Amino acid sequence: MRRMLFLILFELKKILNRKKALLFLLALNVVPLVASLALIVAYVKFKGFGFGEVQFSVLYEVVQGLFTAHFKLFAFIAPFFLALVVGDSFSTELSRGYMKMLLLTPVRRWQVITAKTMAIMLFLLLAVCLGGFFLQADLFVARSLSQNSGILPGVIETEITRPLYLVSTSAAMQLLALTFLANLMLIGFFTVFALFFESAILMSFTSLSVLMGVHTFYLVATTLLNKIDIWYEQAATWCFTRHLDELFSISNIDNMLGGRANLFSEGIFGAWVAASGWAVFFFAIAVLLFSRRQILH
Amino acid sequence: MNDNNSAIKVNNLVKYFGRKQILKGLGFNVPLNTIAGFLGPNGAGKTTTLRMLLGLIPGVNGEIVLLNHSMPGGRSKALEEIGAVVENPAFIESLTAYDNLYWFGSLYKPLTRERILEVIEMVGLKEATMQRFGTFSTGMKQRLGVAFGILHRPRLLILDEPTSGMDPAGRVHMREILTRIHREENTSIFLSSHLLDEIQRLCNYVVIIDSGKTVREGYVADLLSGHQEKWEIRVADEDAARAREMVAAMHDAVTEVSSGPRGLVLTMVSGQSNFVNSELVKAGIRVNALIPLEASLEETFIKLTGNGEGSGGRQ
Repeated sequence: MRRMLFLILFELKKILNRKKALLFLLALNVVPLVASLALIVAYVKFKGFGFGEVQFSVLYEVVQGLFTAHFKLFAFIAPFFLALVVGDSFSTELSRGYMKMLLLTPVRRWQVITAKTMAIMLFLLLAVCLGGFFLQADLFVARSLSQNSGILPGVIETEITRPLYLVSTSAAMQLLALTFLANLMLIGFFTVFALFFESAILMSFTSLSVLMGVHTFYLVATTLLNKIDIWYEQAATWCFTRHLDELFSISNIDNMLGGRANLFSEGIFGAWVAASGWAVFFFAIAVLLFSRRQILH
Repeated sequence: MNDNNSAIKVNNLVKYFGRKQILKGLGFNVPLNTIAGFLGPNGAGKTTTLRMLLGLIPGVNGEIVLLNHSMPGGRSKALEEIGAVVENPAFIESLTAYDNLYWFGSLYKPLTRERILEVIEMVGLKEATMQRFGTFSTGMKQRLGVAFGILHRPRLLILDEPTSGMDPAGRVHMREILTRIHREENTSIFLSSHLLDEIQRLCNYVVIIDSGKTVREGYVADLLSGHQEKWEIRVADEDAARAREMVAAMHDAVTEVSSGPRGLVLTMVSGQSNFVNSELVKAGIRVNALIPLEASLEETFIKLTGNGEGSGGRQ
């Protein structure tokens, strides 16, 4: 157990140690970062004009909208970054010989895959949280600048008497769990490809092409081809990417942020269970492949 | 040999790469507390064997037992007691020597700062402790590889061509390091090398393979006993004819006499050079030099492996 935890930490250090990791974090959070800076500047400016108590409520509404947009955008672009991070963690390490050094120690191969996956997930969760932190920081700064923060009547009146957080703790945790489960499946998928390639770029292009191909087939089969033959609809049910669509649908995210849905709601529960099943499948394949892989570099 | 005294036991090891058979029933038994050399021409299967020993190439066809742990089932247990570097050590370029040893080495067992510094000093990298691995020379990389191998005080250290790419001074230093590790840490060492004189100077046990099969193994002293050696003997010009007559008559010690560019070339029974030299001196012949022409292990190696050139395939 100690060795496993240490291995996860080591993998996380390796990810964060790469220059491109910081660029990834920046790229994934550039919208909330720039927006939060612009908003706080605008807030300070407008506050000086003496609009009274309304400006804080307006800021809150804008920040919450941005947070929702950030989460949706993140869900959309995360696969592209994930492919590169997984490629770096597996393909690049195979070609550079780091994997060989790891496997000269008593760690088992399944532990290497698990540790790398956990480290990548932690990195991803850090990335998704970072944008939220920027936006949340706006609210804290704005409140500290304002002695009598106002609220738009009838909009978020219940927030008056308690600390003003962007999302409730429960919603935040559930969104993180959702991100975790959905992306676990993607990491498993990319890992299977990474074991065949020793170039992260080649692995990324190939796996993303397959991923997009599968999803395109799903979209075409469920909207068009199913009218020609029911077989296409049946085939589309095996397209694992559809679960990502369901998990990150705009209505689901809105409902979870608004407290109107949770992980066990209809349409969300089935999707994350299915995504978890696919994750288990991909990891089983990855472990099987890796346990038979010859380390020749 | 009793299994308890065995560091590495390999039986009937077979390996194919595609259709090409690399190992053809390889078998050897390296005793504990030895510095064992693993010799073979290019393509003989040395590196493949080491990779299979360490589990880098899974799917063992044959028997491998390391420190009484059968592979592949006992891989993790075995590797807790083994330190190894196969081919060039590949640490993380952006991390320092210390950090690389800490992060990789702690996967064996928790390490103290003192142990890491002790090992760094032992391999002569004290000045480079906080230097990034990416800036290391070939020799420094090899030495850090050895440091990684001994961090957890293993009972067995397996190294693949540890002096590869090093200059002569570096090789001497590496030999000193390995001898010190063997002596001070009581570690058995198994190393492959192309450099026969190096193996002869360092190792007391040797396994020679060719074309995927073991052709000879045993203690170096046993291997060389009774073996013939070639020496060049240089004497004063006026004594040359008399010296030639004398050595030609020493049938028990000298089996062949021929002329070399600067003296006589004698093929002698191993260990007889002292006798020949003293007899010549006693007879008043001024012996200017007695030079070993070829290391005996090299001669043995070439004899056992044909011309010493392998098929050049993957090792």
